[in-house]
Amino acid sequence: MLFSEKTRTLDSILNADPVDSLFSDLLPTANNNLARHNFEVAPVKEATSFVKKWNNSCHENLKIKFNHGTTTLGFIYQGGVIVAVDSRATAGSYIASQTVKKVIEINPYLLGTMAGGAADCSFWERQLALQCRLHELRNKDRISVAAASKVLANMVYSYKGMGLSMGTMLAGWDKRGPGLYYVDNDGTRLKGKLFSVGSGSTYAYGVLDAEYDNELHDEAARELGRRAIYHAAHRDAMSGGFVSVYHVKEDGWEFVSRTDVAELHSIYKTDQFLPVS
Amino acid sequence: MSERYNFSLTTFSPSGKLVQIEYALNAVQSGATSIGIKATNGIVIATEKKLSSVLVDETSVDKISQVNEHIGVVYSGLGADSRILVKKAQKIAQVYYNIYKEQMPTLQNVLEVASVMQEFTQSGGVRPYGVSLLMAGYDHQGPKLYQIDPSGSYFAWKASAIGRNSTNAKNFLEKRYNKDMELEDAVHTAILALKEGFEGEMTENNIEVGIAVKDSFKRLLPQEIRLYLSII
Amino acid sequence: MDYNGAALVAMVGKECVAIASDTRLGVQFQTVSTKFQKIFQMGKRLMLGLAGLATDVQTMKERIDFRLKLYTLRENREIKPKAFMNLVSSMLYEKRLQTTFYTSFALFLLFSRFGPYFINPVIAGLDNEGKPFISTADLIGCSTESTSFVVSGTCSENLYGMCESLWEPDLVPFKLFFTAGIVEVVSNVHV
Repeated sequence: MLFSEKTRTLDSILNADPVDSLFSDLLPTANNNLARHNFEVAPVKEATSFVKKWNNSCHENLKIKFNHGTTTLGFIYQGGVIVAVDSRATAGSYIASQTVKKVIEINPYLLGTMAGGAADCSFWERQLALQCRLHELRNKDRISVAAASKVLANMVYSYKGMGLSMGTMLAGWDKRGPGLYYVDNDGTRLKGKLFSVGSGSTYAYGVLDAEYDNELHDEAARELGRRAIYHAAHRDAMSGGFVSVYHVKEDGWEFVSRTDVAELHSIYKTDQFLPVS
Repeated sequence: MSERYNFSLTTFSPSGKLVQIEYALNAVQSGATSIGIKATNGIVIATEKKLSSVLVDETSVDKISQVNEHIGVVYSGLGADSRILVKKAQKIAQVYYNIYKEQMPTLQNVLEVASVMQEFTQSGGVRPYGVSLLMAGYDHQGPKLYQIDPSGSYFAWKASAIGRNSTNAKNFLEKRYNKDMELEDAVHTAILALKEGFEGEMTENNIEVGIAVKDSFKRLLPQEIRLYLSII
Repeated sequence: MDYNGAALVAMVGKECVAIASDTRLGVQFQTVSTKFQKIFQMGKRLMLGLAGLATDVQTMKERIDFRLKLYTLRENREIKPKAFMNLVSSMLYEKRLQTTFYTSFALFLLFSRFGPYFINPVIAGLDNEGKPFISTADLIGCSTESTSFVVSGTCSENLYGMCESLWEPDLVPFKLFFTAGIVEVVSNVHV
């Protein structure tokens, strides 16, 4: 090839022979799903069971450890989609970070959330961002939330059983209006109006289910998301740090706030049991 | 009477006396004399070691015993009974040490031994101990001399005498005692008190002396006693 | 030991000691209370911190209280920190002996909880001469004294790290208080 990869024209990318293409390894091929990303796979007969052994080993010390633990939530209401997350990353009982960005901004209309393995989430959602961009370039139109979530689900499904760990929500706005999907490493893909994912999700659901209403005002909805994450961060030791809130509307997502949990604690402790609205 | 019942021998007489205890005190009164004197910088305890026959090897008889680092004890009365009490006292002190890794204070040991003795005035199938003890120790509370009787009662003394001739010895001590007395002086006084009513010649082999100073108790060796005897 | 979680630290300063703990009571990762007491005053100048299984923290506190009251009544004096440490230590080991002796008697199990108390005590105090004293022990009473700092609880590694970097000899009370406080806050996994 005469020109460097940087100077490739859009046309050459789109019309290139798939095998020759820079992105060829990302395109689905019918027979060879595993080799798509050229990942080094464990040199054993059954990679799946090998990985499973080291992830679920009875010997705690031998287990592969990575950052875990989260509370994330998303819900659709009359004003769009609210996405709220905490920012803590833990490795066992150790707090690895208090400033993790758990909302991945895929494009101006799509947000992904991060729960489970931090590396897995950020890698695969980046891959998803890439696919979404390609979709836009090919089709001269934004990808729907449904399609995007399916792309992600398909990608992780091809690695099923090999130790991927991610529980994610995709929130966005497309022709069908606000969209919210849950996708996890099992390949599960669910459409819904309200999800919460992560170790603190039960606590978040407690607040969410009690206070959720489709007719919520924007400010009340944002406050609900914030408060649900705060309560989860308070009860769940694996969640904490800062509460970030995003709002997805017709014209794309908007970053709303990022507040220290300790600060919220001092605000909320005075009216711990009062309803949100 | 059914064998299941086992009443205490120590029962009140109609006049309110416990005669078994009085008998035990008689046993003490007929035992060898023991003296204890508290000085400003320590305590001395001494006793006569009267043996039933000249054929007995006197080096095998120890009437003053060490309870722990700083407590020593001497008895008047039944030697066999005292051995049991001394063993108990030593064990009690050792248990205390095991718990706190600190030497048992004298008073604590006295308290425990006294309760053992009291128990034997109220339990079934037993008799009171036929001994009185003089327990001496110098700890954080200063030099202390305690007397424990078969009834289980105990007193702290400046100077005391128990056993045969104890009344005479006490009279002697009352005359000679003074509160500024130092240990050296007290040892002499104790030996002199023993000498009151001592039958035969007093030698380093027929008396025993023990001294307690701050945090330490020791029995005097025969040659050390001889030194004291020589300058009387 | 990791069930309820705790962070405990004690430090020696200039003629003073400091002891600090978190107040979280959790069940694994679930926070149940944020007002759980782990440090107890055992004398005018004697503090006891207990990290470990919360139920044992409370029972041991009661049992130690009991023994300490007997001691003060019997001896008519305040216990010295060192003697107190040995008391706690022997109480913990006693439990081990009991369990070893009684395992053969099935009946014993009906009347007593099995095994040692799952706690790591920390003791901090000043002795009669005002000399600082700090120490820890493991769950069966192996005690260690220190002239600098001691840590205990689920995040002891983190506490060690903070102590190693922040502690220095002869800190005055005010500074010591904040040093212990910062160590506590920064190291604490689940405040």
